[in-house]
Amino acid sequence: MQEEAGYLPVPGAHLYTVLHRATEPVARVLLVGPFASERQNSYLPWIRWSRYLAARRIEVLRYDYRGVGESLGLFEDMTFEDWHEDLQVLRDWFASRSPALPLILHGLEIGALLAAKSFYSGVGDAMLLWSPPANANQALRSTLLRWVGLEQLLTPGAERRSASDYIRQLEQGVPVEVEGYQWSPRLWRDSFQWELPSFPGDDQEPASHPKQVRIVKLPKEAAPLVKGGFVGYDEVKNFDWLFEKDAEWIEAQAVACGEYQR
Amino acid sequence: MKQSIESRELITLDSFGAVVRGTYHRSRDTNPDAYEQQRVGILFLNSLSLPRTATGDSAVYWAESFAECGYPSFRIDLPGLGDSDGSLPVELLDFINSGGFAAVASDKVREVVERFDLSGVILVGHCAGVVSALFAAEKCPQCRGLILMDPYFHLPQAIRPKVRQKLSNWALHSAMGRIASDVYDQLRKFYRRLRGSRPPSNANFALLRCWKDVASPGLPVLLFKAPARKAFGSKPRAGQFDYLQHVLKLAGRRGQVTVKFVHGTDHSFANKVGRSAIRQLTENWLKVHFPKAGEIDPLANRLCHEISTSKLIVPRKSHT
Repeated sequence: MQEEAGYLPVPGAHLYTVLHRATEPVARVLLVGPFASERQNSYLPWIRWSRYLAARRIEVLRYDYRGVGESLGLFEDMTFEDWHEDLQVLRDWFASRSPALPLILHGLEIGALLAAKSFYSGVGDAMLLWSPPANANQALRSTLLRWVGLEQLLTPGAERRSASDYIRQLEQGVPVEVEGYQWSPRLWRDSFQWELPSFPGDDQEPASHPKQVRIVKLPKEAAPLVKGGFVGYDEVKNFDWLFEKDAEWIEAQAVACGEYQR
Repeated sequence: MKQSIESRELITLDSFGAVVRGTYHRSRDTNPDAYEQQRVGILFLNSLSLPRTATGDSAVYWAESFAECGYPSFRIDLPGLGDSDGSLPVELLDFINSGGFAAVASDKVREVVERFDLSGVILVGHCAGVVSALFAAEKCPQCRGLILMDPYFHLPQAIRPKVRQKLSNWALHSAMGRIASDVYDQLRKFYRRLRGSRPPSNANFALLRCWKDVASPGLPVLLFKAPARKAFGSKPRAGQFDYLQHVLKLAGRRGQVTVKFVHGTDHSFANKVGRSAIRQLTENWLKVHFPKAGEIDPLANRLCHEISTSKLIVPRKSHT
């Protein structure tokens, strides 16, 4: 399978992207991955998912958020709005490839919120979400709690700080460093506004635009795609139980979109 | 999409039967003399299963910094890790601890040296990456030095038994548990004294042999230690075997091992204090052991003195 890594220019930075080409592709999937410190934990299964899809004739584009991983930019300067704008650039680039194919958005955790916002602004033909939080703050909070737990192992009792101490710090306008990423007070503030949109029921969907959405809450067994698990052990475990069902769903959407477009 | 931007290039190393992906950080040396001689490069290996960016993208930060100082830097994903193809064994930790990545890592050192016309490479490893770096260094004459972050020289269990995990949690979170933990440490200390200076039975003896082969002839090694629970600076927790002292002894009189303890960070060195300490101390060490053309000056002698004193120059972490 051919994988092509490259840099895509966005305002003020370059995004690291990897295109997983497929032979005679039937659909395209744009993967909107996990956030900042979750990236390193879920990287291996996330790539295996990309390869799994490419092997099933689905072309995949995955990328790193601006200021994260291999992408350029300063994380502490970034906002959810910046990351959302980047998603539009990626979508434009990906959708302009030929031949024209159904485009499916797939987001994980905070990535699911970004994907959902784009989807409801008209991007994509279908959307798959893995473990979307109710809002971005919920995801940040759980990352913070885990990090504070680890910090406390090393810190003597008197110097220990609780999660609420750090939250107060953010609320007072002072950045907090979490697992090597400088969280800005603005990131924290904005995170409350980035919510999972409510999904209209079938009767509310316009008949001319029957877009499908699938939301899957990943179980604990899906670690390290979701928080938890053992580093160096869980990355190599078999995820076919998860991949197979959702790949089938994506294929079904590709067929449905193709028939609809005809 | 571009393969290369101003400061970086995405690379694929495909010789010697393994395809490995990585990022090359071009050196940005303003001194024209530096380009007249072959330069030494810096090559980062993965830490356990982490992608080549490492925790908090700290490896990106260090590679950029060293490239800015004139040392071309490379971060690669070993086969099966990060963006590189290949499958990983289920027992990844055992594989690494037995030197499973040594052959491919040393092949990639050769490839990088040839392709980028370098005089050699300094290997950088963190945690399990130290094990790969040491085993690889033994195999490749192109390795000119080692930067080792929070190494371990024993054979850890990938997953601790549940009972042991529960005991640890109890020891951490209750007053009685803390007392029991201290008593346990003292008992182990006593037992350790009885055993003398011999490493414990779960030592990685192959790695210790490898260390001796690599360090004792005088290969420059910069070794960083991070704070650990119940440890005293670079000294281990009471009752634990002092591997650092042991490996310094193994390196012998010809060994050129510099040890630095970094306060205010954690095992990953990814926080602000940790990453800037690693950057500053490594840049000083590079200037002493791998000076660029026209760079040998009185400053280097001063830096050499600073390093040999092995004093920590990093302030304690402030939380605010």
